[in-house]
Formats: sequence, C-alpha cells, structure tokens
Amino acid sequence: MTPEDPTERELDQLLARRPRSAAPAELRRRMEALASETRPAAPRRLGRWLAPLASACAAGLLVWVVVRPPADTAGARLDLVEEAVNDHLRVVESSHPVEIESGGIHQVKPWFTGRLDFAPRVEFSGDAEFPLVGGSVGYFRDRKAAVFLFRHRLHSITLLVFPADRLPWRSHGLRSLGPLAVDEQRSRGFNVLLWREGELGYALVSDVNLADLEQLAPRLNHP
Amino acid sequence: MPDRGRLAREALQHLDALYDHGRYLTRNAVEAEDLVQETYARVLGAAATFGGGNLKAWLFRIQRNAFIDQRRRSRPMAPSFDPAALDTLDGAPAPAGEDQLAQLRRMTGADIEAALFSLSDEARAIVLLDLEGFTETEVADILGCALGTVKSRLSRARAALREKLKDYAR
Repeated sequence: MTPEDPTERELDQLLARRPRSAAPAELRRRMEALASETRPAAPRRLGRWLAPLASACAAGLLVWVVVRPPADTAGARLDLVEEAVNDHLRVVESSHPVEIESGGIHQVKPWFTGRLDFAPRVEFSGDAEFPLVGGSVGYFRDRKAAVFLFRHRLHSITLLVFPADRLPWRSHGLRSLGPLAVDEQRSRGFNVLLWREGELGYALVSDVNLADLEQLAPRLNHP
Repeated sequence: MPDRGRLAREALQHLDALYDHGRYLTRNAVEAEDLVQETYARVLGAAATFGGGNLKAWLFRIQRNAFIDQRRRSRPMAPSFDPAALDTLDGAPAPAGEDQLAQLRRMTGADIEAALFSLSDEARAIVLLDLEGFTETEVADILGCALGTVKSRLSRARAALREKLKDYAR
C-alpha cells in the first residue's frame, strides 16, 4: 500500500516504530544446523579424470570421519541435553501442554498415527505415582518427536521419543537402569536422561529427583 | 529441481522476519519459536516444489499454513482463523484531525504493539504482511485469497487499527 492520505502515511510511520524481535540465538543456531545438514546436490557431470579423483577423496574423507577422535561430540551431546530441557520448558509453559489427553497409553499412542513418520514405542500407561497426562507432537532438533507428559506429585515430566539416527549419542559412562544404558545429565536445575532403544531415541526431563526419573525410565517400555 | 541446500541457506536470511511475524501471530515467544521451527521443517520438506520467484513470500505462505495448523491443534474448539471476520468491520475511516495525528506521534512502541495485538488474527496478519513490504499480489498469494479481497481487507484492517490506536493514545 502506498498511502496518499497524510493519516495513512502517519500510520505507516507509526507502525514502522513497532517493536521488532530478532530470532533468539538458540533458534538461529538450530536452524543453521538444520541448513548445514542439507547438502547441496552433487554436480551432474565430472570430467573423466575428475570423477575417480573425487571418489578417492570421498573415500579418504569417509575413513577420516570413521577413525578420527570425537573432538566435538562432547559439545554436541550437551546440545542434546539443552534441546531436551528447552523442549520440556516449551511443554510446561504452554497453555495447552498436550494435544491428546490421556485415557491410557493405548489411547494416546494411536493418536500419533499419521502425525509422525515413526511409531513411538512406549508401553507404560501411567499409574498413581506417575500418571500419564497426555501427548502431543513436538520437535527434537531437526526431527519430529512424540511428546508424552507425565506427572509426579506436583511436578511435570516430559518424555520425548524421536528417531535416533545422526545424533551424537554418548557410548561410555552410561548408567545401567534395568535393560537401559542411560546417559544421565543435569542442566539448569533439570535432570535429563537420554538413551536409545533400537532406532528410537528417548529423552526424559524433569525437575523431580534423579532417583524418581531413574525409577520411571526403565518402566516406560518394560512395565 | 531447486538446490535444497542453497534454498535452506537462503531461507535463513529471512529467519528474523519470520520469527518477528510469528511472534505477532502467536503473541508468544515460545510458540513463535515452535512456529518458525515447524515452518523450516516444512520448507525443507517441500523444497522440491519451490518454483522460483519470491522466496520470502513462499516462506511466509508456509508459515501462515503452519500457524493455522498450530491453532487447529491447540484450540480445536476455538473459532477458526477466519478471513471473513474482517468483513464485519465497517466502512472507510473517518478523516483524522491534527489532534489525532499529534496523539499518534506520541505513542510508544508498547502502545503500538498492544494495538496490533488487539486486532483479530487475520487483521493483524494482513497489516503486518503489508508492513513487511509485500505487494498486494504477494499478500493475496500468501493468504490464499483474491487481490480485490486483499485490498478491501487491508483497508478495513488499517481502519480498525487506527481506531484501536486512538483508544491507546487517550
């Protein structure tokens, strides 16, 4: 609109002074990570000698990637913890923390069908100590996640279930909790438990005691 | 087919604009972050369908659709995001006098923001898209309605906003 009326011009000038918000640094970092994971397409045609050279370089790079020490994975793992805590905060601060209220896990799980490109494996229906509030769809880094919300007394516990591929999972210093090998972390006052089962990754986050989370985690798939 | 990686990087140049627009749409910083993240996920998923042209307008269209879906999910029983709601606003604005112009000049950023938030979702969206520099044709494409509809709705939305601003200026 190109206002001719002085009032319209005045309105435009006024609205140009409206508060504007830049994207938070954490969001920008996540989106940049998402963009950097999207590789440009390979050139369609290479010269006769260039193609074998490129293949050799690619093979060398692959060997380097496989054998190199995991120099930056500690920071990347911390990112997983921060992501889990941020996701938990989004859930508990939301005015609508769940999209499907619980009538038991067998009501919540089918609700995810068609909303996710994987089936979240969670068998625990909740009990008096850890009632299941419901579920929703969220994001964990660059992928969709099934979000389950449990309560423990007055505390909220968020369980995120997501495809585990291409994430920097810790492989040592894990704690055995029944059948699970769990990476236990703490950030900003929240306890975070991370583990893998098959192709799925799990993040359990809350401000409840670590012992309470350790009690819940193994029951989620092995009630 | 567009280069998905290049598209993803170019889309990042509009991150601040998408977040700012998202914050005005949702009125909530956390929901705005979720909306932007959902928008970028959809953008990457639909990169192959981008036919060139105005990338920013394409991003805003995807964001609008994501916002509508977000609202439907979180408030299934609430009134829907209804473009026709604007049609209930009456007629052309009354001409402003010098007093009103002086009042407008004195308004703070917080007053302006509050006035924008007091508009309906659709009125706020159309005013902000106009301020974002989109042409009326682009706004029509983003909102999925006819050009003539955009013209009339934008005029009504701005008239409604002027009325709200008068209230805040008192």
